[in-house]
Amino acid sequence: MLAIKDLSFRYSSRGPAVLNGIDLELPDGQIGIVLGKNGSGKTTLFKNILGICRPDSGCISFDGEDLLRMHRRERARIVAYVPQSIHFGALSVFDTVLMGRVSFFGYKAGREDEEAVRQILHDMQLEEFAARNVEQLSGGERQKIAIARALAQEPRLLVFDEPTGNLDIANEQLILSEARRLAREKNICILTSLHDMNQALELGDRFFFMRDGKIRCSGGPEVFSEELIKDIFDAEVRVTEIEGTKYVLNGGRQE
Amino acid sequence: MITEYSISVMLNKHFSDDIERIKRRNALVITALFIGVIVLAFVCLFVGSSRMSLADCFAALAKRGTASQVRIIWNIRIPRVLAAIIAGAGLSVSGLIMQTNLNNPMASPSTLGVSNAAVFGANLSIIVFAGGFLSTGNNLTSYTVGMNPFATSLIAFIFSAFSNLLVLGLCRVRAFHPGVVVLAGIAIGSVWTAATTILQFYATDVGLSAAVVWTFGDLGRATYRTDLIMAVVVAVGLVFFAFMSWKFNALLSGDSTAKSMGVAVDRLRFVSMLCASLITAVCVSFLGIIGFVGIICPHVSKKLLGQDHRVSLPASALSGSILLLLADTVSRSMGGGSALPVGAITSLLGAPFFLAIIFSRKGEHD
Repeated sequence: MLAIKDLSFRYSSRGPAVLNGIDLELPDGQIGIVLGKNGSGKTTLFKNILGICRPDSGCISFDGEDLLRMHRRERARIVAYVPQSIHFGALSVFDTVLMGRVSFFGYKAGREDEEAVRQILHDMQLEEFAARNVEQLSGGERQKIAIARALAQEPRLLVFDEPTGNLDIANEQLILSEARRLAREKNICILTSLHDMNQALELGDRFFFMRDGKIRCSGGPEVFSEELIKDIFDAEVRVTEIEGTKYVLNGGRQE
Repeated sequence: MITEYSISVMLNKHFSDDIERIKRRNALVITALFIGVIVLAFVCLFVGSSRMSLADCFAALAKRGTASQVRIIWNIRIPRVLAAIIAGAGLSVSGLIMQTNLNNPMASPSTLGVSNAAVFGANLSIIVFAGGFLSTGNNLTSYTVGMNPFATSLIAFIFSAFSNLLVLGLCRVRAFHPGVVVLAGIAIGSVWTAATTILQFYATDVGLSAAVVWTFGDLGRATYRTDLIMAVVVAVGLVFFAFMSWKFNALLSGDSTAKSMGVAVDRLRFVSMLCASLITAVCVSFLGIIGFVGIICPHVSKKLLGQDHRVSLPASALSGSILLLLADTVSRSMGGGSALPVGAITSLLGAPFFLAIIFSRKGEHD
């Protein structure tokens, strides 16, 4: 389980707090979705979890292990990252995914690393791409390769930063179903951010609403309300429930 | 009956074959480049202003020719060929590492202002201290006279190493972001250029000419001792870079992703840029400015073989050696008795090839 307690962070000592007393818990095999306006601190929260930024105070642990005190290579075997904008060098898909094993092998990939990559490519049905140059693939395929590379780290927590930001609807569905499969089948804890609230409701188990570096509200789908969304996004929406499933519709209620 | 398992085995075999084919192609290209270096080294060894025949060259190589022929081959041409191989490899690999670290295809070994600082150091040595520092090293007349050929190189190196540390030190205090490093390099480099201009303004005509001549890249300055020093520095750098290949590959995905994979990005960037700049500083201090090798060769190797540093590092090193050997051979063939500046020839030879490669990237910018 991912547990964050009283996490605070600022980019410079005199700057404003970008994260302010964040508390968050996400059990194994669950998908947690962070929702908030642009600049609310979502990506900064992810960077703190990944060890890219170092928090000023607070604690981040996974299954009781303190991620902040861990060596970066040990941490890379627990937490993996799929960034919002994906860049690769001109490498083959196989080598790109093998790169995810760098925290295991350090300087030279061994046979077991290559075997692990073959298994991941097989599981994700990416074998036909293995020898292709990763730069020649489409956006959705590249996103899948980025997930495959993250999986090569054998993580227990996967951090996705806006996974559907640059994708068409078919690739969106592909990536979301892949995320769901990983959480259910591999019991991986997934923390992600999404802007589409219906997509979030469809995918997520737990939701964390952020504003101004604080988590204002968290819980299951039941926490979605018109008041909460207005408070977080300053937007008028209608929240309705059809056959037990909540939907968020644009536009406020007509008086 | 075809089962799901047998399909997966077949697919697995199919992609394993594809991957093996890529590995074989890479090995083939690197072997071809290596053979190219050896062949060109001999061509370079046998071409020169003394118009020795091939038989004379072989005889001299076996130390059986006349004293003058043996001296031309062993004291002039071999150190020169070795310098071309070592400096070509060093400058090219330094360029590759700079481009990867700074995420900038236009980065070169001189991005941190290393060359500008070396030029200032050499100008200071020649213009201010003058006299005994004017030797350009290894030619038949100056080879035997008692001047110190290392003084100018030493001062050039001290300044370039100082400039290097200054830029990297400043960036370490502020932020080790690629953009900051490039801007700091440009700023510090322009300070050295300004100081050189002021120095040259007060120089005598003789001092000024000597200082300008120093900046022309000249492989003729190489001696066995300078080759050995360059070889040690370049070899240490190459081994270090080769060990870090996977980490450089990770850097291609961006700092955040590389850090999330457990790579100590800032430390890797600091150490590898320091190493690349020191290689450049040593080569420039001994041989003068040899431009373009550090830009063109990494680009050609990346274009041919992709960006995997396990392959692009040796390919860049070998193509750098080839370009410098070729440029040196051309410069000595065209100079009418004295070699043309090799730095000018690398650009003249390299630029059209480089342009052809850039404009052949079909669809990339569509």
